[in-house]
Amino acid sequence: MRYLKILKEKLGRDPTFVELQAFSVMWSEHCGYSHTRGYIDRLPKQGHGGNAGVVDLDGTHGIVFKIESHNHPSAIEPYNGAATGVGGIIRDVLAMGARPTAILDSLHMAEVVDGIIRGIADYGNSIGVPTVGGELRISGFYAHNPLVNVMAAGVANHDKIVPSRATRPGQVIVVFGGGTGRDGIHGASFASEDLTGDKATKLSIQVGDPFAEKMLIEAFLKMVDEGLVEGAQDLGAGGVLSATSELVARGDLGAVVHLERVPLREPDMEPWEILISESQERMAVVTSPDNARRVIEIANDHLLRAAVIAEVTEKPVYRVLHGEDVIMEVPVKLLVEAPEEPIFQYQPGSFPNFRKMEYADVDAHQVFEQYDYMVGTDTVLPPGLGPAVMRVKGGCGYSILTHSRADLAAQDPYWGTFVAFLESVRKTLAVGAEPLAITNCINYGDPDTDPEGLAAMMKALKDACEFSGIAVASGNASLYNTYMGKGIPPTLVIGMIGRVDPERVNKPRPSKVFVVGWPDFVLEREKDLWKVLKKVVHDGGFVISAMNLINSTHREALRRMGLMLKVEQLPSVSPVHQMFIVFTDSLELNVPFREIGSLLRVG
Amino acid sequence: MKACVIVYPGSNCDRDTYHALEYVGMKVDYVGLNDELEPYDLIVLPGGFSYGDYLRPGAVAAREKIAGEILKAVEKGKLILGICNGFQILIEMNLLPGALLQNSSGRFVCKWVHLSVSDAVTPFTMHYTRDEVIRLPVAHGFGRYVKVGDKVRVVFKYLEDVNGSDERIAGIASENGRILGMMPHPERACESILGGTDGLRLFQSIVEFLRRESH
Repeated sequence: MRYLKILKEKLGRDPTFVELQAFSVMWSEHCGYSHTRGYIDRLPKQGHGGNAGVVDLDGTHGIVFKIESHNHPSAIEPYNGAATGVGGIIRDVLAMGARPTAILDSLHMAEVVDGIIRGIADYGNSIGVPTVGGELRISGFYAHNPLVNVMAAGVANHDKIVPSRATRPGQVIVVFGGGTGRDGIHGASFASEDLTGDKATKLSIQVGDPFAEKMLIEAFLKMVDEGLVEGAQDLGAGGVLSATSELVARGDLGAVVHLERVPLREPDMEPWEILISESQERMAVVTSPDNARRVIEIANDHLLRAAVIAEVTEKPVYRVLHGEDVIMEVPVKLLVEAPEEPIFQYQPGSFPNFRKMEYADVDAHQVFEQYDYMVGTDTVLPPGLGPAVMRVKGGCGYSILTHSRADLAAQDPYWGTFVAFLESVRKTLAVGAEPLAITNCINYGDPDTDPEGLAAMMKALKDACEFSGIAVASGNASLYNTYMGKGIPPTLVIGMIGRVDPERVNKPRPSKVFVVGWPDFVLEREKDLWKVLKKVVHDGGFVISAMNLINSTHREALRRMGLMLKVEQLPSVSPVHQMFIVFTDSLELNVPFREIGSLLRVG
Repeated sequence: MKACVIVYPGSNCDRDTYHALEYVGMKVDYVGLNDELEPYDLIVLPGGFSYGDYLRPGAVAAREKIAGEILKAVEKGKLILGICNGFQILIEMNLLPGALLQNSSGRFVCKWVHLSVSDAVTPFTMHYTRDEVIRLPVAHGFGRYVKVGDKVRVVFKYLEDVNGSDERIAGIASENGRILGMMPHPERACESILGGTDGLRLFQSIVEFLRRESH
């Protein structure tokens, strides 16, 4: 209601029915980032600001990546909720002009929810983008609010990177893809509420069509290849409304939108429904009037529908027509600048004495095996041993991982988040990669009743970035992960990208097994540990860096490579430690290490 | 000596297969549904989800215009290789006997599996030896092979039960050996960096067979 008052003041009048619909989407937490923008603004950034982050890989190729949540839809309708989560993040990467090359997930749930796994698998497998790993965290904290975060990465030549904005008046916006229906109306607002709310029905859930997505990927890349795309954005939360308004807002321009031209799946839709529908598998392309015809032709060749639905104007006004009728007319900036909530300063305490709150040790292969992790023939390191390592045909490569430590953050949001970041660096170094940048997904409960946890988590992210010299390239926030008012632990999921020479990635082979480092944690030692990690990997050792040293997923991954781990007893470690496992024949180090067993070839 | 990879709407191993064929030194083209197959000595139907597996995997693709071109190529005795969804399409076209149903687990399965080579005299398997054990990846939801009739020329068998296939059959050929359909993905096993190279010899067999035949 407070936002309604602000809207009235800014408009200088009562909003119309359509405006209420539009602003309730654009000013929802999901689109507007009201509670997080103040924190995000303070983070060190690199390659930030578009539909997804971009960092350089080798001077020629850029790696485009982002993580996104689909928590609320997956809680209500696991299969479609998770599937469309994959679809949405893939289009974010695609919109930058990159061919999507890898998917990872981060799943927090009380038990393995079959529908969620199948949703991710069916969608990812069908579109031909490998799902190369991720994390599977089983804990009772997530009984009512499972977290489904999906990260995607893609590779593009720098000169083909597509801006996420309109650049001049006179351009037109083509929407192409599947038809627009009533699915996902007010999905963005639903995703910004407690799950006991009355919007928590299946009506707010989008339905995915991976075949349309696959055709959309190929069509869009062809448009980029032919030089037709001057700007692009996917249609996600807020549909036509958010895609078109954000495209022109970023270029300080305006738009005239013609809703009657949007290709529909349901013939009798109200104009406002067309405006905010979140039907999947649609993209908005900014192009010139001359090239629009070819854009539509390519879409049609790929069995997709397309139409010019908007013109870009100089005056920064967002004007929506349905035929002759003016449906809405408001300043563009008003739509995209949601009111901002105050942010809180957080003073971290000293490093706490963490209790052990282990996740269930489940073998994640029951999940990985349902994902096609090899399509694309670029997967150098398969899932189950740490980060995935991907090559780019023609030379370079990258490492990619998702990681979180909500078991710690439940006890201390600041240090739990900080440690998750440090561990992400270690995991990246463990495969011989140099950390480049991160994407992050802020999963949180209710920021209004408990603002401190959010402040602590965001302060930790900022401090850890500065400590490590690694910046944030993209991110996403999912708040109000609550049920009957009770929230999840602060769960910041980090997606880290590293640069690696894929030809020089160590792989496990029969050898001795060592533990290296310390069973407890002292922050001052962390960078020494990183140096040791680099040296060990450089000398040919294969490293596993994990919170419980070795788990059943690692053992199974080794078994699938025809290897068997023979270890008498693992050293006992604190919930936060500075120890890792090395597979090599001999070690010479100036930090503690000892031999604990061997890795044998089976059969 | 020229190969082509047919790109159906929804194919997703087309680029991988192209890469593998190029890797063994073949000239390769992508072809679409309205192209002709006259210029090609080897025609590959790649893996993926043609038409999103709607109706039945391979069912829609089998009824496209290009199917007529494939039949012409069969009559001319050209080599035809269907991998995964390509195998499903060849079955739907009745170019190979039997049926491919949903895995007995009801789930998609992606992993490396061991196979034995049951027939090492086809144009596709000359570089293997009979009963040799090789490792290739599988990635499918509908790979359970069901035999129809007795005359099946089995080329590959799984060593362990992967999907509930009759007699653990993983790949079969036409009577004359010139059409091969297989669920495993040889194109994913051509470079050691990807974890194995046992698929490479399948493509090398094809190259050698075509070279001999052209002399």
